[in-house]
Amino acid sequence: MSPRTFSLVIVAAVAGFLAAPFLIAAAPYESTMGLVQKIFYFHAPSGMMMFLAAFLSGGAGAVYLFKGRPAADRLGLAAAELTVLFGLIVLVTGPLWARKAWGVWWQWDFRLTSSLLVWMVFVAYLLVRKYGGPGSDKLAAVVALFGAANVPFVYVSVNVWRTLHPKTTVVPSLGPGMREPFWFSVLIFLLLFVALLTVRLRLAAQQAELESLYRDLDEGSVGV
Amino acid sequence: MKRRVLLVCVCALGLLAGLRMDARQQPQAAPATQPPQAAQSEFVPVKDLPAAEQMPAGPLVLGAYGFMWAVVLLYVFLLSRRLRAVQKDIDALKAQTRN
Repeated sequence: MSPRTFSLVIVAAVAGFLAAPFLIAAAPYESTMGLVQKIFYFHAPSGMMMFLAAFLSGGAGAVYLFKGRPAADRLGLAAAELTVLFGLIVLVTGPLWARKAWGVWWQWDFRLTSSLLVWMVFVAYLLVRKYGGPGSDKLAAVVALFGAANVPFVYVSVNVWRTLHPKTTVVPSLGPGMREPFWFSVLIFLLLFVALLTVRLRLAAQQAELESLYRDLDEGSVGV
Repeated sequence: MKRRVLLVCVCALGLLAGLRMDARQQPQAAPATQPPQAAQSEFVPVKDLPAAEQMPAGPLVLGAYGFMWAVVLLYVFLLSRRLRAVQKDIDALKAQTRN
């Protein structure tokens, strides 16, 4: 991504996040949940970004496993970090909403439990990359594939099993006052996702350059 | 040492005994309380909590948004710190290889 495009993305994301609270405050209240339902406008987009990041990490992991491209490995690692980040937002904002809406902080139903498990899989990915030693990149790619494969089950779980969590039909059925702030939130979260991924990929590329310089230095000193 | 421990125990026992005797001798002050209520014989269910007792949603909403901002800003801060550290190492290595 060119520096100019990246700057535009950053500016748009920041402006969007500054404007979002006003749009969300202007949205109508939900009839049964009232004010607490407004957590939805950050909770659901965070969930979408978590799923997107998980798919990206799994897909990049697959490319790295079968084609061996280092760029795919770097993308897998960057996306895994974002999965953990957005997953953390989902897993904290959800219970804050649930406490008021359901009367409990947490329920061990399929949607909540499987979301927690996917998040833990990607935490495991990061731990494997950090402490796994040689060969951990390939092992982590398998972990990412496993995590990404679980995402569709997490998504459809609310429609298949009995759960307190709202179903997937909620979003398509949003009324006029709620639809606009929701999709605006999705857009700004997507911009944030792209910006963070770009920066994280730059860090990964720099780390690769550093390793290459160390190797050259070692080869040079060995040659002497 | 043993004599000292024994002396401390005897003094503590004596103090406790003295306190109990004091308590028995002083008349119990009449408590300034409301007249005793009749014990509840049953629980009466209601459908909705009274508004005054319902959990306020405001702190939960603010907490959710605040947490989201805090986590994102922390991640951005950590990323920028890592970027600076790696760039510093790269510059140092490049200078070393040039020399």
